[in-house]
Amino acid sequence: MMERKELETQVINMVATSYKQDAAKLSMETLFKEDLGGASVQMVALVAEIENELDVELMLADASGCASIGDLVNLVEGEL
Amino acid sequence: MNVLDEIYQKAKENPQKVAFPEAMNEKMMQAAYETGQEGYIIPVLVGDGAEIKKAAKERGYEEKVFQIVDISEESYKKTLVEKYVALPQTILKEKALNRRMQNPLYYAMVMQAVGEADVTFAGIDNTTGDVLLAGQMIIGLKEGISTVSSIGLCDIPGFQGSEGSLLAIGDSAVCTNPDAKQLADIAISACDTVKELMDWEPRCAMVSYSTLGSGQGELIDKVVKAVELAKEQRPDLAIDGEFQFDAAISPSVAEKKVNRESKVAGKANIVIWPDLNVGNVGVKLIQQFGHADAYGPMLQGFQKVVCDCSRGAPVSEIKGNIVISAVRAAGSR
Repeated sequence: MMERKELETQVINMVATSYKQDAAKLSMETLFKEDLGGASVQMVALVAEIENELDVELMLADASGCASIGDLVNLVEGEL
Repeated sequence: MNVLDEIYQKAKENPQKVAFPEAMNEKMMQAAYETGQEGYIIPVLVGDGAEIKKAAKERGYEEKVFQIVDISEESYKKTLVEKYVALPQTILKEKALNRRMQNPLYYAMVMQAVGEADVTFAGIDNTTGDVLLAGQMIIGLKEGISTVSSIGLCDIPGFQGSEGSLLAIGDSAVCTNPDAKQLADIAISACDTVKELMDWEPRCAMVSYSTLGSGQGELIDKVVKAVELAKEQRPDLAIDGEFQFDAAISPSVAEKKVNRESKVAGKANIVIWPDLNVGNVGVKLIQQFGHADAYGPMLQGFQKVVCDCSRGAPVSEIKGNIVISAVRAAGSR
C-alpha cells in the first residue's frame, strides 16, 4: 500500500503537468477552480494521467467535484 | 421543404455509421432502428451483444438493420485498443483504456476515434456531464480549442435574415461563463459547425449591449477581446463584433450603427452570446415570442461529432438529432 505522503507527491506532480504549474507552489489546500482556474479539459487530462500511472479508475464526475488537490487525493486513496 | 427535411435528404445521400452506446434503452433503440431502416444512417449498437439481440427481437426489429458490437468480445476490442493507443495525442494508455471500455459509452467513442464509427450518440442513460467528459477523454478537443460548447439552429417564422428564416445561435446550453479565449473558441467552433451541417459561408457576430464601442465596461471588454482572439486564430473566418443583436442581423440597423466595413454586420447567420445567461434566455425568447423551432443543442469543439440528446426527448426529436449529427459528420470530412 502506498504511503499517503507518497501519493500526495505523485498527485501534485500530475496536477503540475496537467495544469502547467510549478509543483513547488502546489499543496493539498490548492483549489482547482480558484487557484488553478482550469477548465474541464485539464481535469480530464489529469484523471487520465492518474488512471495511467496509479492503476485506478475514477468517476470523472467525482473528480470534477473535488474542490482541492487534497480532496482529489482522498478520492484516489479510496479507489486504491 | 423545411430545414429539417433538407437535412434528412442530405443524410440519405451519404449514410453515416452512428454508434449507440445506450442501445438497450427503448427509445434509443427505436430511434436507431427507424433512422436505420429509413436509410438515413447505419446504426451500430454497442453493448452486451446477446442482450441487444434479444431485446431487438422482442421489440419486433429486424436484426439486419443493425450492426451489433458486443463489448465483451475480446479480439475486436483488442484491435480497437491497438489502433487507439497508436493515435497521436491520446491520453489513456492501454490498461486504463481497457478498463474504461467496459463502459459502452467509452467503447463507442474509441470506435469513433479510430474510424469505425462516424458519430457517438448518447445522453438518455448517461448525463450530459458524462458524455462531455467521456468525449474530452476519448475523442479530445480540436486543436486550439479550449472548451466544449454548443449551437442551436433556429427556424423563425417571419424572420428574413441572410439565410431566410434560419439563424444559428450559441452557446445556449453548455459553456456557462466563458472567458475571452473560450468565447473566441465558441465562435470558431460555431463557424465550423454550420459549414459542416448547412454548407453556409459562416458570418459570425459576437453580440453584447454595445456596437463597436458605443458602450463601455468589463462585460463589453470580454467580447471585444474575444473578437480579437478569434480573428487572430482564424483569419480565414468572418467573425466580427462587438455588435448589438439588431446590428448583427438587421441591415438597416447595421447601416446606422456600424460605420466601417464588415462582412458580418447586418447579415450575420451565426450569433454568439456573451455568456450562458444571455444564451439561454435568448433561445427561450426566440422560441416563446418568435415561435421558432430550435434544433440542437449540437455539441462542438470535439475532434469528431459527439451528440448528447435530452433525457426527456421523444423519439421524433431523437431521430432529428441523430440525423443532424450524421450530416455534420459527413460534412466534416
